Amino acid sequence: MSSVATAPKKGFDFKAFLANNGALVGLVILCLALFIATPRFLTGPNLLNIGIQVSTIAVMAFGMTFVIVAAGIDLSVGSVAALSAMGSSYAVTTSGLPDALAIPVGLAIGALSGWVTGAMSAYGKLPTFIASLAMLTVVRGLTLVISDGRPISTASSVSWLGDDLGPIPMPIIILVVSGLLAAFVLNRTVMGKNSFAVGGNTEAARLSGIPVKRVLVTVFVISGLFAALSGMILAGRLDSAQPTLASGYELDAIAAVVIGGASLSGGVGRISGTLIGALVLAVIRNGLNLLSVSAFWQQVVIGAVIAIAVGFDVLRRKNVKH
Amino acid sequence: MKKLIRTTAAITLSLGLAASLAACNRGETAADGASATLAVSTLNNPFFVDLRDGAQAEADALGMDLSVVDAQNDSATQANQLATAATNGSAGVIINAVDTETAEAGLAPVVKANLPIVAVDRAVGNTKVASFVASDNVAGGEQAAKALAESLKGKGKIIVLEGVPGASATNERGEGFTKGLKEFKDIEVVSKQTANFDRAEALDVVTNLMQSNPDAVGVLAMNDEMALGAIQALGDKAGKSVKVLGFDGTEDGFKAVKAGSMVATIAQNPAELGKQSVQMLSKAINGEDVEANAQVAVDTVDSKNIAEYSGK
Amino acid sequence: MSNDALLVLDKVCKSFGPVQVIEDVTVEVYAGKVSVLLGENGAGKSTLIKMIAGVHEPDAGQILFKGQPVRIRDTKTSEALGIATIHQELNLVPSMTIAENITLGRVPRKFGIINRREMRKIARDALAKLELDLDVNTPVGELGLAQQQLVEIAKALSLDARVLILDEPTAALTTTEIEHLFRVVNQLKTQGVGMVFISHHLDEIAAIGDYVNVLRDGKFIATVPADTDENELVRLMVGRDIDAQFPRVATDVSGQPLLTVEHLSEGALKDISLQIRPGEVVALAGLMGAGRTELIRAIAGADKYASGTVKVSGKKLTSYDVAAATRAGIGHVPEDRKTQGLVLDASVAENIGYATMAATAKNGLVDRKGQKARAQKVAERLRIRMGSIDAPIRSLSGGNQQKAVFGRWFTAGAKVLLLDEPTRGVDVGAKVEIYELINEITASGGCVLMASSELPEVLGMSDRILVMSQGRIAGELSTKEATQDAIMALAISNVHREEEMGIK
Repeated sequence: MSSVATAPKKGFDFKAFLANNGALVGLVILCLALFIATPRFLTGPNLLNIGIQVSTIAVMAFGMTFVIVAAGIDLSVGSVAALSAMGSSYAVTTSGLPDALAIPVGLAIGALSGWVTGAMSAYGKLPTFIASLAMLTVVRGLTLVISDGRPISTASSVSWLGDDLGPIPMPIIILVVSGLLAAFVLNRTVMGKNSFAVGGNTEAARLSGIPVKRVLVTVFVISGLFAALSGMILAGRLDSAQPTLASGYELDAIAAVVIGGASLSGGVGRISGTLIGALVLAVIRNGLNLLSVSAFWQQVVIGAVIAIAVGFDVLRRKNVKH
Repeated sequence: MKKLIRTTAAITLSLGLAASLAACNRGETAADGASATLAVSTLNNPFFVDLRDGAQAEADALGMDLSVVDAQNDSATQANQLATAATNGSAGVIINAVDTETAEAGLAPVVKANLPIVAVDRAVGNTKVASFVASDNVAGGEQAAKALAESLKGKGKIIVLEGVPGASATNERGEGFTKGLKEFKDIEVVSKQTANFDRAEALDVVTNLMQSNPDAVGVLAMNDEMALGAIQALGDKAGKSVKVLGFDGTEDGFKAVKAGSMVATIAQNPAELGKQSVQMLSKAINGEDVEANAQVAVDTVDSKNIAEYSGK
Repeated sequence: MSNDALLVLDKVCKSFGPVQVIEDVTVEVYAGKVSVLLGENGAGKSTLIKMIAGVHEPDAGQILFKGQPVRIRDTKTSEALGIATIHQELNLVPSMTIAENITLGRVPRKFGIINRREMRKIARDALAKLELDLDVNTPVGELGLAQQQLVEIAKALSLDARVLILDEPTAALTTTEIEHLFRVVNQLKTQGVGMVFISHHLDEIAAIGDYVNVLRDGKFIATVPADTDENELVRLMVGRDIDAQFPRVATDVSGQPLLTVEHLSEGALKDISLQIRPGEVVALAGLMGAGRTELIRAIAGADKYASGTVKVSGKKLTSYDVAAATRAGIGHVPEDRKTQGLVLDASVAENIGYATMAATAKNGLVDRKGQKARAQKVAERLRIRMGSIDAPIRSLSGGNQQKAVFGRWFTAGAKVLLLDEPTRGVDVGAKVEIYELINEITASGGCVLMASSELPEVLGMSDRILVMSQGRIAGELSTKEATQDAIMALAISNVHREEEMGIK
């Protein structure tokens, strides 16, 4: 614009940087603190461990990012992860499907669960909180029905998701690939951009001709797919699909997205932020284990980190509005 | 006046009829064998599924009509289920309490209805029960600790995986571990961390702990699920340079013992717990003598005796 | 500068990040005088007020209170100095009584118990100063907006406010209510209260103000007497002459109708028929609740309708399908741009691009370069003032935000523009620019249906006026012959005739 006079930047605005990259700064501080506290932290094998450990929550949180950007919430992801892991293995080990179909079956289960949640909220007008809360219970119940409450061994293609590919563990490869894919879909596709518009202002999006309901259903399908992938990684690592798999993980996934700078009121969110959020949680858990901190304190610390991260979110929004 | 008498008579008659019909109904079930309720803490755990299966099989054998309710680890749900059991015609209640402390209040309606109670696996506070069927967690813990220590030839650093903090099994097994390890002076517990009885959590925790304690040679887990997570974390090292010990004797646990990745597991025999609790309740309903404390054998299952257990 | 000023903002400056919003501005407030703050949206009025209220502190310059330099660090300090601000959004608890609201936060107590008698007395005294006759036990929620505003002023006065800041107090009031407010203001003048008054209505300035401080783009422009000519005030405020407030250029109305509505009915709307030809601007006038917004939304596909048809260039549209309407060439500028028009977290480019994003995408991928280039082009054409095309739309002034909503439909190539209160909350300069956009649409063969509550706008910018009453079109007027009275007469008419609605 010719008419615009942008004032030159006056040095480095530390406050703004901190507010916009709170999670990253937090992660760096956390890593520094652990580096000082224990020599075991900054070692190749341990970093690889963190990579593997973060994969489940991060992949799940990638999907959750879509839902949260669209101003929804998906509480069913932990259950969907379990059902997909269970269903994929059940289909092969019990129903006798070819092994190669296990992963597609798992993904289909995830997509279908997500579709049901999305349809309930888009067409049934249930708040996403309630629709996904209902699915949390329904899907976990189905998992128990299929498994009769017992773990079953995974199909070998699912187990492969938990193995190594050459020197690199598969979970890390999946983490990277699915992260890039999620970022691409969120930022480059019409569907991704539409979720920002729907989350930012549903009515404005609708009046601009954006198919709001379809967008809402799609973000839940995406969330279901990522949850399924996450569940199968976890089952692959354990070589076992368990009925209680990933229970409570939805809260970690939501925390990761929010720590990563997304706003629960919608319209704001980044996949890179979500990855950082998940890393913050994984690094804390890893570090507290390395330091042999008691289980009780671990919970206190994790809760405090979430509160601080969301505090940054509030600070940032205040800066924007002035 | 006449009309009033007639009406009263009619009402009395119909009430009486209804009452006798109801009595007949009750009599019919009793003839087939009593109906009873089994209130389970959760069926999300294979252990309790096995317990239920053992109980169900025994009930079928005795011709008892056993209805199983699942509290999903929620004390309030269990209290509601117990209140229902007190009034739905059950002749007795087997309770596997969600929580030892709160079970007392939940059982109050059953006590009031004067039905015999059998507690299984977990105690029920001060409530008077016909029988308490349980395996001894403290003794089991002691056996487990000894088994691990012996396989390590009495020395080395070990990691302890604890269950849900504050749960009675965690406390009792922990007490047993301490007792069992007392005589092995050269065994050092280098880290105690919880993995909440969960396999996936144990996988991460043990991976992390092996980073900070690379010289650990043993993992003592408070249940098989965590032991299996530890084995997954250890990979090839499991059973070779690092010995893992489980607890509970689940199917997957036996498989691991058979494969050599787990040194031993303490078989609690949940099916036997279920079976004996039904036997005790049946006796109590029929007014026979009942053992106040039925101890179900706890076995150390290792490579030597695994054949007797696995595949069953 | 005179020494008897109650409050002086002396050469204050303020920046947010790289943006300087206030530069070297001096404003004086005198006891018993009303100082009017005049400026377009974004000129820096609200930042100035926030400095007085203790929300922001100036980066440079100083604030003098009764000749002494003071720092107003927070709202508490401001309150302690006797400064009170009456915002557009009132600070009252609707469920509490007038007395409770007036004494909120400083409830009189006796032995630790609320002293209700004293509380009512404080409230009655406060109301008496304004000669307000209200029962202090009435819950505030039961009062009308105007009365609530007066209660808020009473509350400020009972706190011994010496400086009262009135931020667009007349925006939501009727003529009689405004008269009452002005009576109160005049009375406060005699009591020696200094006031700062903000309004977009130039005619109110002469009625109530003593002198006017004009701001433009954060800079102080001039202080002039309140009886300055309106055109002169606009010139000072906008920085250039505005030839005409309503620059409507009539175009040849010809050809087949672009928009045809036949027998449309739904809830509040009863059997609406109308036609608009290329080059035509049709205004929808009527009272609040007459069904103007409902009609616009139904045509746009935003709401369902039970019966009737909407055609664009002779092609029938499906009901309740915004996407279909958009494809057919309809563009909808909704009533409230913040809640219906814009995604405030998104950038200017994104907001302009929403209607074209799907249509220009290849294989589901957004044409990012193209979208941005198109947005840039339309922003230049509409003279949208912004930091950059990637700046958040939130950072733009109301008028420029509104232009971005127009820009969305310009980019989409909309031929039929449905405007719902297109200049609400937009300042004079931007208003004229929006009117020029309307001219541009009709000049290029498009047509406009414009719902507006402002009769001067209706008379100034349309070719034809449809007046709605109780969900029907009560009548049609040619703009040349129409008067405000004629429109009002139709607007309040109770029509039962089913025939002769709209045009054949």
